Amino acid sequence: MAGLFLEGEPNPALRGQECEGCGRVAFPPNPYGCEKCGAPAAMLVDRPLAGRGRIVAFVTTTHANRRDLSVPYTVASIALDDGPVIRAIMTDSTGESLAAGDAVETVLVERAADEGSTDRVLRFQKREAA
Amino acid sequence: MRRPLRDYRPVHVVGIGLHRFQPLSETTYVELGLTAIREAMADAGIAFSAIDSAYCGTALLGMAPSRAMLRHLGASGLPITQVENASASGSTAVRQAVLEVASGMADVSLAIGLDKPAPIRLAHEAAGVPDLVNAYASPFTHFALLADDYMRRYGVTAEQVARVAEKNFRNASKNPHAHRQKGYSLAEILSGPNISGPLTRLQCCPIGEGAAAVIVASDDAIARLGLSRARSVRVLSSTSRSERVYDPGADPDTELTRETLAMSCAEAGVSPGDLDVVEFHDGFSIEELLYVEALGVCPPGQAAGQLARGDFDIGGRVAINPSGGLLAMGHPIGPTGVGQICEIARQLRGEAGPRQHPGARLGLAHMVGIGSVCVVHILSAAD
Repeated sequence: MAGLFLEGEPNPALRGQECEGCGRVAFPPNPYGCEKCGAPAAMLVDRPLAGRGRIVAFVTTTHANRRDLSVPYTVASIALDDGPVIRAIMTDSTGESLAAGDAVETVLVERAADEGSTDRVLRFQKREAA
Repeated sequence: MRRPLRDYRPVHVVGIGLHRFQPLSETTYVELGLTAIREAMADAGIAFSAIDSAYCGTALLGMAPSRAMLRHLGASGLPITQVENASASGSTAVRQAVLEVASGMADVSLAIGLDKPAPIRLAHEAAGVPDLVNAYASPFTHFALLADDYMRRYGVTAEQVARVAEKNFRNASKNPHAHRQKGYSLAEILSGPNISGPLTRLQCCPIGEGAAAVIVASDDAIARLGLSRARSVRVLSSTSRSERVYDPGADPDTELTRETLAMSCAEAGVSPGDLDVVEFHDGFSIEELLYVEALGVCPPGQAAGQLARGDFDIGGRVAINPSGGLLAMGHPIGPTGVGQICEIARQLRGEAGPRQHPGARLGLAHMVGIGSVCVVHILSAAD
């Protein structure tokens, strides 16, 4: 997951790309070329996308089809304030605190990795009202 | 200049055969495939030696499965090609057979769909373009998100979405080739277990084993081999597309389906409203509602209501998934798209028995493959 976001407190930005050929803004980034116009990777420039958006839809999955996924987990479609609609995992694994239209933001979460080490993964959480 | 199928010589489905779609068993893939192929040859009334080429749609069997099966029909030396196109592998095998006959390079061609459950290795996971969800966005989570979005947008309930499965189980209860032949009630469908969001287990297609075979032939072959013209079914269009870039938030599978259906109808010279029977890729209940609307036979947001009043039943306005679809007929991957052609041909011949849609003259088969790709065929009854 490293490489998909820029470290920054409190809400990491997503590493998007903008195509100098057609102007398309896309996430996740790719090292190959523009999906819309075919411009080569050299024409894809970094375009940080603010780690904020709104929930369009969300579901809680209670059945895992792979052993390395623990259930329940909640995935949302999120319309980023900066344009693209992406999918992300929510910190609220049961989705009980969530509603469509909620303002959400990125957060880095410590997760157990192999052999007792941890890594940090990007999740979205509900944004508290200011 | 690019020319549609109808500008080439006519192609007809002359033989269909199936091995039941079923849970994984000890039956070899060879036995599954030979059962379907022998049934299709008997149905057409031709010998294996009359078949000029074979295309085998399979995603999970591994390298080079076909000759190890076909040799038991008498090794004729015919050209053999494996076709892998994810869930649309079988549909693409049909398309290749159709194109070869249309072009005149073959007079009779065989399309087979064949698979047994096996671990699925998706190439795009090694493409070097990870995202934030990766394996968490399994197909059922993906389609559950679409269901959540659809329900919210149009005020549709989870029960209304589940009625897709209720209808398709009812259809499959009259289909001896279906994986799920028990006509589950709405209460049983909704009672779980829950999988993701509003989707319960019975709103997700079963992936088992099976086989399907379709033989296509030219007018010349029908005359030369003395095949039944009355039971032949004309292939009006064969259309295949892949995903483009759509507006942010639009579902790529629905948009890809919308443009492929429109192109196929235009190439066949038919209006969507003229279709009598349609087999859609209903891997998950919500898909059928999305694709009915994408076809243009129902305004956005109204598919659930029209389903509830029986419009899409056998005997309704247009029979959707009379075989039971992927939800009930099953989705053994390779066989699925070939099985759809078998069902449409059976319906257009008037040979579908207890699940016959009255007066069926025009039919459509649609598959989506992960990636995404989409394949659509439109068929018409003999004059």
